[in-house]
Amino acid sequence: MFIINIFFISVLFTIPCHGALEEIDPNFGKAPTIDGQIDSFANEWDEAYKIQTNLTDLPINLWVMQSSSKLYIAVQIELSEVVNRTSEFVGILISNSSSEDIKDFIDAKIVQFSNITEDEFDYFDYFINNSVFIPDSASNGNGAAKLEGETSTYEFSIPINNPQGSIDEDVYLEYGELFAFNITYGLTPSYPQGIMKSSIFLININYPPRSELPLLKLTIFVFTIVIFSLAVVLYGFYIYRIIKLKEIMERYRR
Amino acid sequence: MSKISKSPNKKANSKAKQAFNEKFAYRSVIISVIFGGIFLIISIFFNIEIITVFMDKNVLLDIVDVLIKTSVILLFFFFMMVSIGNYKEIVGKPISWREFLFLIVLSLGQSILNLWVFIFTVLGIIIILIYLYLTQEI
Repeated sequence: MFIINIFFISVLFTIPCHGALEEIDPNFGKAPTIDGQIDSFANEWDEAYKIQTNLTDLPINLWVMQSSSKLYIAVQIELSEVVNRTSEFVGILISNSSSEDIKDFIDAKIVQFSNITEDEFDYFDYFINNSVFIPDSASNGNGAAKLEGETSTYEFSIPINNPQGSIDEDVYLEYGELFAFNITYGLTPSYPQGIMKSSIFLININYPPRSELPLLKLTIFVFTIVIFSLAVVLYGFYIYRIIKLKEIMERYRR
Repeated sequence: MSKISKSPNKKANSKAKQAFNEKFAYRSVIISVIFGGIFLIISIFFNIEIITVFMDKNVLLDIVDVLIKTSVILLFFFFMMVSIGNYKEIVGKPISWREFLFLIVLSLGQSILNLWVFIFTVLGIIIILIYLYLTQEI
């Protein structure tokens, strides 16, 4: 019965997606607080790659940023025409490669407003198997949302280059690889049926920049190593002299 | 001619006393050099920043870090100074300025990765030198 159910679900509901809109090369920046607020006073998301784009026909602001261990995505939606919405969600469906084939989107991170006026939301981490959303045994990443006026802001942090995560349920976002991300929007908390708008973006997971040691610091460090090496050598030589002294003292006594 | 000959016992006593002093000084050389070596090894771990448990976490731990780094360098300097001083006493020569400066350079060189450690080490070395100078037999 369960198998038939899954079959029906996968036949009836497919995740809407279109060709990738853009290839994004995220900038490295200071990790933001995932609280659904873009705090300009704390210079949050300042270094992020920012674009105004559309999820199907829904205009959004999209921020993408990276650190050495996390990918940060923020989505801001302004909805003036839908006044009485009580629930709303933004989901990020992640492909296991740069492939935009629907079957390759196996991971979903969703922030679902349960009561939008009270700022009540939940973060879900799903594994997608043939368009069936199965909750992960261990939730990875983080997400938050907040409504301010008519603008709802969604923030996500997704672990990257982390093979310790649940490999079978999450996409392993590896450095130097390109992945397809399907950003989705909907109202009701049913997936994938509730997905109303979506767009695919290709995001490069960049290698962290190498921290270059300044020349002065390097020189001082080398000098310290030389000093310690010299100290150890001289210490050894001094020990040798002490042993010799013992022999001389004994000879003198005789 | 003196009726009382010089006492051979007095000579023997003086020789024994000298031997005892030398033995004592030699023991001090050995013990001090062992301690100096221990603090040199600890200094390598902390001052090359192999052990960084206290670094860049909060102000309190930063102070602990600076204190440990400074203390091990100063203890290394003190014990090596005592050891070399006693060694020179056994040999019968005074400690030269060259050896003196060399030990100071070796100690200060250990502290240059951290400005605070360097400043406190300079102050500590000055205090140790004053102490050693004042406790010398004039």
